[in-house]
Amino acid sequence: MTIRKRAQAGTLQSSDLMVFVEPAAELTVEIESTVKQQFEHLIREKILEVLRAHGVTAGKVRIADRGALDYAIQARVETALRRSGEA
Amino acid sequence: MIQPLGPSERERARALVESEGLAFDLDLDDLVGAWEGGDLVAVGARRGGILKTIALSSAHRGGPLLGELVTELVRLGSAAGHDAFFVFTRPEHAPSFEALGFSLLAAQRRAALLEWGDGLRRWLAASLPLVRPGANGAAVVNCNPFTLGHRHLVEQAARRVDTLYVFVVREDRSAFPFDVRLRLVREGTADLDNVRVLDTSRYAVSALTFPAYFLKQADDVAGIQMELDLRLFARHVAPFFHVRRRFFGTEPFCEITRAYNAAMLRLLPPLGVEAVQVERLRGRGEAISASRVRAALRSGELAGLEALVPPATLRFLRSPEAGPILLRLAGAEGRHA
Repeated sequence: MTIRKRAQAGTLQSSDLMVFVEPAAELTVEIESTVKQQFEHLIREKILEVLRAHGVTAGKVRIADRGALDYAIQARVETALRRSGEA
Repeated sequence: MIQPLGPSERERARALVESEGLAFDLDLDDLVGAWEGGDLVAVGARRGGILKTIALSSAHRGGPLLGELVTELVRLGSAAGHDAFFVFTRPEHAPSFEALGFSLLAAQRRAALLEWGDGLRRWLAASLPLVRPGANGAAVVNCNPFTLGHRHLVEQAARRVDTLYVFVVREDRSAFPFDVRLRLVREGTADLDNVRVLDTSRYAVSALTFPAYFLKQADDVAGIQMELDLRLFARHVAPFFHVRRRFFGTEPFCEITRAYNAAMLRLLPPLGVEAVQVERLRGRGEAISASRVRAALRSGELAGLEALVPPATLRFLRSPEAGPILLRLAGAEGRHA
């Protein structure tokens, strides 16, 4: 799928994350996280996995993470992608 | 459940906000709140990327409502195209925002300014290649446009430090747009080896840290803003660039700049930054200032300009590119117009 417009999902609450996506020529993933030091590579791998699963090859993806678990990351990224593809 | 508040609900919002000892103002893009059994129990507003006027009834403090309120304001701001968010709040509430991922930029007795995300860290990281060791100095300038007066300040300051950082105010609220102001400062100081020119981003004299600079009044609010602006500079910017001295020109005309100068002299030294005031360069009896240059441009007296501005600025003013700016000046009045 294609990121057609700016979209967002998630909350600022602890154990959650906020995902922002917007159209861009290349694929970039920016991660801010309270646990960035230890887990950035795992968070990034999870996000890339969701993007791959949806065939997303371009767009700017920004994550503000408050210590979310894998399934929360997956759900929030999927929701943001779905919102960004809606007409 | 956080909901938008319509115009008819503004008086309820005002009552809650004022009962918490905050001022309610209508300069906003979004106003949202939460209801419980017919009572308004939480209110928050957004203006651009700035979240403000956030108030919770006392029974709801410490619960999830603040996070829900801020989440909704960030969502609305993001949809409106903003990607950086800030909040002004009372210093005692700063920890509640830190728990939501905000970090403190500056605080004083009555107000705190926090940023969501790591914009400041990223701005500093992007400036890292310019950082030099030593006893360095800084000047924060608008240069609307760059004059011989600015040149004099930069020369005097550069002599007294290892590296001088000239921060050009990024905010585009002046007659000369930011990219032109920055370019004229770069060209006008290119021969000075130890001068580095960069922009302030949002982190000095901006619509965020010091909105009153772009207005006229020097009131209580302006005083609080100046202090937050200077504390942010002393706490985050100066240490990163090894800045020990901040330079500025004496101000003969403008009340708010004079108040800002006085605030630098008072606040910076205790924070570890020496405040150095440099006497203005005078030309034909009067201090050379950008406002004098703009007045000359407005009245079309281009003959005396070479006594006020360096060659690069003069070249620009005589170029076709300056046309729209000169036209705008001819039709405008105001402090930065």
